[in-house]
Amino acid sequence: MNMTTITFDEFLASAKEFEQKSKELGDGWTLKEDKVDNLKTYLRKNTFVQYEDGNINHLLKVEYVIFYNLSYGVPSFSFNAWNSSGILLTFDEIRKMSFIQINEKDFYSVITQQEHPIFQRPYFIMHPCHTETLLAAFKNNTKNIIVTFLGLITPLIRLNLPLEYGL
Amino acid sequence: MSATESQQEIIQYVPFMSFVHPSFWHSLTEMKLDVDKLNETTKQIWGRFTYRSDIGAVFEVDGTSFNKVPENEQLYTNVKGTIMNKNTIEEFKSIDKAALLNSVGKVLWTSLQDKSWISVPSSLLKFIILSFADLKKFHYYYWFAFPAPSQPTVYVKEKSTNISTHFNTNQINEITQSYKSLELEQKCFFSIIKDNDNIKVKTLSDLLNSKEGLQKDVDLSCTYFVFNDPSNGNNPGWPLRLFLAALLEHCPSLVGSEIKIIGLRCSATGGVENSKCFTVVVPKDVKTVDAAGWVGWERNDKGNFGPKLANMSASLDPVILADTASDLNIKLMKWRLVPDIDVDIMKKTKCLLLGAGTLGCHVARDLLAWGFRHITFIDNGKVSYSNPTRQVLFSFQDCLNGGKKKAEAAADGLKNILPTAVSKGIVAHIPMPGHPVGESLKDETINNIKIITEAIAEHDVIFLLLDTREARWLPTLIAAHYGKIVINAALGFDSYLVMRHGIAGSPAEESTSVTTTWIPGGSLGCYFCNDVTAPGNSLKDRTLDQQCTVTRPGVAAIAGALAVEILVGLLQHPLRNNAPAVYNLNSDTEDIPPEMQGVLGPIPHSIRGFLHSYQTVAPTCAKFKQCIACSETVINKYKEEGLEFLLNVFNSGNYLEEVTGLNELHLTAEMTDILTFSDEDED
Repeated sequence: MNMTTITFDEFLASAKEFEQKSKELGDGWTLKEDKVDNLKTYLRKNTFVQYEDGNINHLLKVEYVIFYNLSYGVPSFSFNAWNSSGILLTFDEIRKMSFIQINEKDFYSVITQQEHPIFQRPYFIMHPCHTETLLAAFKNNTKNIIVTFLGLITPLIRLNLPLEYGL
Repeated sequence: MSATESQQEIIQYVPFMSFVHPSFWHSLTEMKLDVDKLNETTKQIWGRFTYRSDIGAVFEVDGTSFNKVPENEQLYTNVKGTIMNKNTIEEFKSIDKAALLNSVGKVLWTSLQDKSWISVPSSLLKFIILSFADLKKFHYYYWFAFPAPSQPTVYVKEKSTNISTHFNTNQINEITQSYKSLELEQKCFFSIIKDNDNIKVKTLSDLLNSKEGLQKDVDLSCTYFVFNDPSNGNNPGWPLRLFLAALLEHCPSLVGSEIKIIGLRCSATGGVENSKCFTVVVPKDVKTVDAAGWVGWERNDKGNFGPKLANMSASLDPVILADTASDLNIKLMKWRLVPDIDVDIMKKTKCLLLGAGTLGCHVARDLLAWGFRHITFIDNGKVSYSNPTRQVLFSFQDCLNGGKKKAEAAADGLKNILPTAVSKGIVAHIPMPGHPVGESLKDETINNIKIITEAIAEHDVIFLLLDTREARWLPTLIAAHYGKIVINAALGFDSYLVMRHGIAGSPAEESTSVTTTWIPGGSLGCYFCNDVTAPGNSLKDRTLDQQCTVTRPGVAAIAGALAVEILVGLLQHPLRNNAPAVYNLNSDTEDIPPEMQGVLGPIPHSIRGFLHSYQTVAPTCAKFKQCIACSETVINKYKEEGLEFLLNVFNSGNYLEEVTGLNELHLTAEMTDILTFSDEDED
């Protein structure tokens, strides 16, 4: 058995636990389970973000989606942001926002805009190739793999993760 | 108005700000294309709002808005609405917006007269979307309205206060619990009765008499009318406007009195401690709802009453999605591996492919993969049943009914792969030296020369991907004359040659020193110069394009790919066509000085590959002073005599040798054999 990847069942169990905790904290994560096609199961959180550009204050909605990546055997992180008309922010607009704390050089090697495997629409997806190595270090002493996973991502992305999750 | 009233301010309601999820446009598009088509029926949809401490009153719709039963998101209030999607922009523009809102309001009000709103308070809230969807461009014009009667006008007595000024902590906790246990449709509007320390939450059915007025036992002084408040400021949200209008209509006794209102603001954790209390004064001369019209059209981003436009082409138009996604492949190279690569140069460079056969198809596909968008084919043939398995732009369908023209079928094939490709096919035969034209074909030949000349002049790069040696002569000459980049590929049974040509006017071989290790790009030989000096032409290897494409299938794929990679290497070199070619490419590229290399490394002059031994060599050869295609003499002759010169060449196999003086040189029999084209080559 490969000890560094996680199975879908482990992912689902952690996701369920995470959703429960999120409900208690009012953090807004919901689990959408697809019982027919397991791999279409995902955790989602929608939140509004205010973004100042010069003097103009933009109200944006940001959606975070965590899904299971079968090829890598890890959770995958994706997100999208749009304005009040539903127009998606472009790659460069996303990059320019302080929304993400990654320098330009590393940005593109970490985040790619591509068709989302679940929604079939363009999303920004974090490349899963480093996730496995990072998670491996924590796998055996983590209470919840989703919490650990988000703990790795939050330094990069403006995503509030309350301490009550038990980081 | 009395003195006290004049100090009061007219109540200001915080309007909703619409916020559309991208999936709303996806669903609307599907609905329009698959279900409604040209019907302009109005459709029932759902929207929702909630209170948020950090942002104002936002009203949301998404892909689930079209569901029959609304999705229940935690803490959200669902609102029923209608969407009127117009078929044309003219109808969208010309519809009388005020009249539309009034008619919607009237219907809403009539339905409230039957008092059903008391048992289902959420039915007070409505919204409409007027829209026009331009599904060719994926532009959506839309305008939200939240209908509310412009009358009655009421006043606020004092600044709004936090709920804690009216209730203690225990009572607030009790309100939180009672609110949670209310039925969903009762949560919009209800009441709280404060009886000393006790709190009692009453639905509107318990509070109001079903026919008119309040229930008998209601004491107005300890009654709070509660509404679900999306506002996060000092003013109450839009739903209060409808609540007050309905209350005053139902309870005429409230006219002239003071009413206590709670704007219930339930935070994400379920607490209501952010709620606001308002004291509303109803003047004695208050106007009725019927007295005036309805309001509620949303302002657009400029602050005017007008529609908004959502240009969703970037995320909805499949053509644009395909284009940006294929661009991304190139950009990723830049971002991750080769930061100095010029992404745009490929998009701008126009490629002309002479020959739309096995090589042409492979070259075109690789060009597309590298981000080239302008690709033109010239070919005279038709697609035959033997072609599609090797010629990767064609399919069985192209062979039917006598076969499509190859040039056109290849262009169509490219656009099927990527609709944003700018591709066309030109059907023309390329005249060849030593192939006499004759009177009957003279006009057609002249016309073909004109077409080919114009096409070469219009493009930046000329690929020679023809299956005969002679057919390469005319395009080599014309491309040299116009100073174009020329990439040449030729196939044998299990061998191939891929090369770039030098530039007309650059010095030929004798000016380059023997001790040098490289040749400037401009002074490199063309296909015809190098035949003389090309190594390894054993009899077997002379199958190079002399046997009418009887080749191992992999050869064309390899040669086509190398041809494109050489071009890209050139385009990414600061000297472009003048990029030098080193004599010895076999050494480690680290030993090659950086100025000899482009962004993608050193660029060879030619590559010869031999599949039987899986070996390649990269010979570098200078221009031949007496070349029959690119020498000064030939080009000057073409400049001076033009068409007449070309016709002379076509009509006589020896004319070129006379012009270049080759026949004066005592050439070996072998060389004469190569340069004198025989008719057998065609077979």
